[in-house]
Amino acid sequence: MSTARDHDQIMARAEELIARGDTAPRAALDEVNVAMIRHWAEAMGDTDARWGGAEPVAPPAMAQVWTMYGLDPHRPDGDPLHATMQLLDEAGYTSVLGTNCDQTYARYLKPGERPAITTRLESVVGPKQTGVGEGYFVTTLNTWWVGEEAVATMTFRVLKFKPGTGRPSFDRTQTVRPVVNADTRFFFDGTAQGELRIQKCNACGVLRHPPGPVCPSCHAMDRGFVVASGRGTVYSFLVHHAPKVPGKVLPLPIALIELEEGVKMVGAVTGEGLEIGAPVRVVFDRIDEDLTLASWTLDDGEAPAVDSSAETAVASDLPTWSLPVTPTLVVSAALATRDFQDVHHDRDLAVQRGSKDIFLNILTTTGLVQKYVGDWAGTHARVAACALRLGAPAYPGDQIDFTGTIVSHTPAETIVDVVGTVSIGNHVTARVTLEREDSE
Amino acid sequence: MSIPFSAAAAVAGIGATEFSKESGRSELQLSAEATLAALADAGLKPSDVDGLVTFTMDNSSEIALARELGMGDLRFFSRINYGGGAACATVQQAAMAVACGMADVVVAYRGFNERSGDRFGQVSKAAAAQVNTNGLDNAWTYPHGLSTPAATVAMQAQRYLHEYGATSADFGAVAVADRRHAAVNPAAFFYGKPITLEDHQNSRLIADPLRLLDCCQESDGAVAVVVTSTERARDLVQGAVPILAAAQGSAADQFVMTSYYRDDIGIPEMGVVGRDLWRQSGLTPADIATAVLYDHFTPYVLMQLEELGFCGRGEAPGFIADGAIELGGRLPLNTHGGQLGEAYIHGMNGIAEGVRQMRGTSVNQVDGAQHVLVTAGTGVPTSGLILGR
Repeated sequence: MSTARDHDQIMARAEELIARGDTAPRAALDEVNVAMIRHWAEAMGDTDARWGGAEPVAPPAMAQVWTMYGLDPHRPDGDPLHATMQLLDEAGYTSVLGTNCDQTYARYLKPGERPAITTRLESVVGPKQTGVGEGYFVTTLNTWWVGEEAVATMTFRVLKFKPGTGRPSFDRTQTVRPVVNADTRFFFDGTAQGELRIQKCNACGVLRHPPGPVCPSCHAMDRGFVVASGRGTVYSFLVHHAPKVPGKVLPLPIALIELEEGVKMVGAVTGEGLEIGAPVRVVFDRIDEDLTLASWTLDDGEAPAVDSSAETAVASDLPTWSLPVTPTLVVSAALATRDFQDVHHDRDLAVQRGSKDIFLNILTTTGLVQKYVGDWAGTHARVAACALRLGAPAYPGDQIDFTGTIVSHTPAETIVDVVGTVSIGNHVTARVTLEREDSE
Repeated sequence: MSIPFSAAAAVAGIGATEFSKESGRSELQLSAEATLAALADAGLKPSDVDGLVTFTMDNSSEIALARELGMGDLRFFSRINYGGGAACATVQQAAMAVACGMADVVVAYRGFNERSGDRFGQVSKAAAAQVNTNGLDNAWTYPHGLSTPAATVAMQAQRYLHEYGATSADFGAVAVADRRHAAVNPAAFFYGKPITLEDHQNSRLIADPLRLLDCCQESDGAVAVVVTSTERARDLVQGAVPILAAAQGSAADQFVMTSYYRDDIGIPEMGVVGRDLWRQSGLTPADIATAVLYDHFTPYVLMQLEELGFCGRGEAPGFIADGAIELGGRLPLNTHGGQLGEAYIHGMNGIAEGVRQMRGTSVNQVDGAQHVLVTAGTGVPTSGLILGR
C-alpha cells in the first residue's frame, strides 16, 4: 500500500500538471496517407470502400494513429500523460491498463492533411482497490487539430496500478447456476439477449417478479412479459465478506433493486455510492454461454437497454460477428496503429509484466468496434462518436463475439451499443453514434 | 379465553447431548442419546413412545431412531419443513397428536453435526440445485452471490436500520445479553465467556451490516422433547409443563429467507404466529415474563419483539435498551445463552430452556415467571410456543 505521503506527493504533482492546461500542438510525424490507411484496413480486415478509391478518407478510428510517437522511446517533456505515468511508476504503480476511450469525430481526415495533437491532464483519482490491484485512474483530454479546426477529441482513462496487489484469481464459471423451468426460462432467455424481462399477466396486466405459472391476482395462466427500462433504485443492500462464494470476488455488494416498473429484484451491484435510494441501471453480466446475470451499476450513464416505449426505437439487433484472436491479428494491428508497447507484440515481456500473453491494444479494439458497426450501417453512415469501456483482455487463442443493440434511431442519428465478449467476460462495451452523411 | 387445545398436552421430559464443534459420532447416535435422556428425564421408556416428530431437514428418519431405541409400534410420525422454522412446530405436532388422541407419548427430536459436517453458514450449492420450488426460488438469489443465511438477513437488516434509525449497536445488545446468559450456563459453548458491546462492534464484518458476533454459532449436538397429556405428565418424574399455545405461521408472498418482494420486507410470518399464540392461550404480551426468541441473527430478535407485540414496529431498539432483555430486566431473553451463546441446535435447545424456566431450573431463572414464549427460525415459515406451569 502507498503511504499517505506518497499519495500527497502524487496529488500535488498531479495538480501542477492539471494546472498547466493544454500542451502546445505536436504535429503528426506523417501526413495522412494512403499507405498507412491500407496497412490499417488490412490489419483490421476493414473493407469499407471509403478507405480506398479515387478520393479516400481515413477511418476515424485512426485519429490517434497519426500522432502516435512510434518506436522512439523519447517523449517530449511537456507530455502530461507521460509525466503522470513516470510519477506513478516512481511510487510503485508500474503497470498500466486502459479503461475508457471516448472519441468524437467532427469529420473524417483526407490524405495530405497533417493533424496536430494537444493534450491536457484532466484528473488523477486514487488510490482505488481494483480487481487488478491498487491504482490511480488517470484521465487525459486530447484534441486533434488541422490548422485551427478541431477535427477529433479523445478522453482517455488508464488505470496505473501496482502489480501483485489485485484480488486472487477466481473462476467465474463456478458461479452457482439457477434452476430453471418452464415458468422462469423467459427471464434467463432475456438476460442472455440483453433484455431484463418482467413477467406480465396477459389477462389483467399485473407485473410480477419472481415469476410463476399463475397470476396471483386474477388466477389467469396466460403469462407474458414486458422488457424493463433497466432503471431502478436501491431498496436495500448488503456487502458480503465471508464465507467465500463460488465464482465471486469478495467483498461483494448485493442489492435489492426496486425497478421503475414497481417490482423488486436481487442483483450484484458495482460502482461508487451504494446506499438506499441510489439510482442504478442494469448491466448484463455474461458468465458464459449458459448464463447471463442481470446485475446493476451505480455509474451514471444512459441505460443500454432499448426503450420500447419510444416511437423511434427499433428492436433489432445487429448480426453477431465472431472474430478469432490470433497472434497475427494482435501484432499486425498493433503495428498498423503505430502502437509499439511491448505487451502487444512480445510474449515474454508481456508475461513478465503479469499478463498471460500478448493482448489486443485499445486502438485496435476501437477500430474493430467501428468496423463492426460500419459493416452493418453502410457507407452513408459516418461515425460521430465512439465511447469505449474496456474490460477483459483479448488474448491469442480466444475469440471476440460482437453483438450490437440499437439504442435509438432517427433519420439523422443512430446510436448503437456494442458488446464484445471473450471467454473470460466482456472485452469491450461501446456506444457508437452514427450520423447520416446525406442528412444535412 | 383459551381454546380446548390449550394445556391439553404438556412437555414431560427434555434431553440433550453435549454441545460441541465436533461430536465425533453419527447424527443418528446424537438423536438417540438425546431421546434416551429426554425419556429418562420424564421417567418413561422407549417402549412408551408411540409417536416421533422431527424436521424435514433432519438426516435421521423416525423409523431409524425407533429401530435404534427398540421402540415398537409407532402410531404417529411427522416432519416439518423450512429449516429452523420447524422447531416449535415439532412440539405443536406432538401436542396436537396427543390432544386429539392419535398418540400417547410423542418425542420431538433434532440432531446434527452442523459444525463438523454440513455447515449451514457456508454456501450450499445443493440448496440452489434442488429441482423443486425451493430450488427455483433460490435461482433469484444464489447465482448473484446472495447465498448464505447471514447475507439474506443482512438485506433485511440494512432496511431495518434505514427505516427506524437503528444502529449496529442495537443488534449488538442482543449478542451481549445472550453471551452474558451463556457465561453462567455450564452447558453453553461460550460458558464463562461474556462479551462487551465493544467486542461486538470490533468483530469482523460477515455480511455488512452484520458482524461475526451478530451470527449464531455452528454446533454439533441433539435435543429431544417428550410430549404427553398434561394429565399423565403430572404423574411423571418432572411433572407437567403445559403447552398453552403452539402455532405455525407463513404470510403472503412467503419465501425461505428471501421474502423480499413484499411491500415491507419484515417478518410478518412471526406476526401470524404471535396472533395465534395469544388467541390460543388467551394471554397477552404482559403475561410473558421471559422469552426464548430464535437468534440465528441478532436483527431478527428485534423484529420478533415487534411482530409478537412486545413493542411497536421500529420500537425494539428502545425496548431492549439498558439491559431490558438481560436477567433482571423487564423481559429477559434467551436465558440459556441462545444460539449465539449456548449452541445452534436449530431452536430445539431454546424449547428445552423454556421448559426449564417453567420448572424453575434455569441457570438464569426468572423469578415468578408463569409463562414463557418460545419461537422458531425467523425469515422462514416459522412457529412458536407458549408454555406454562
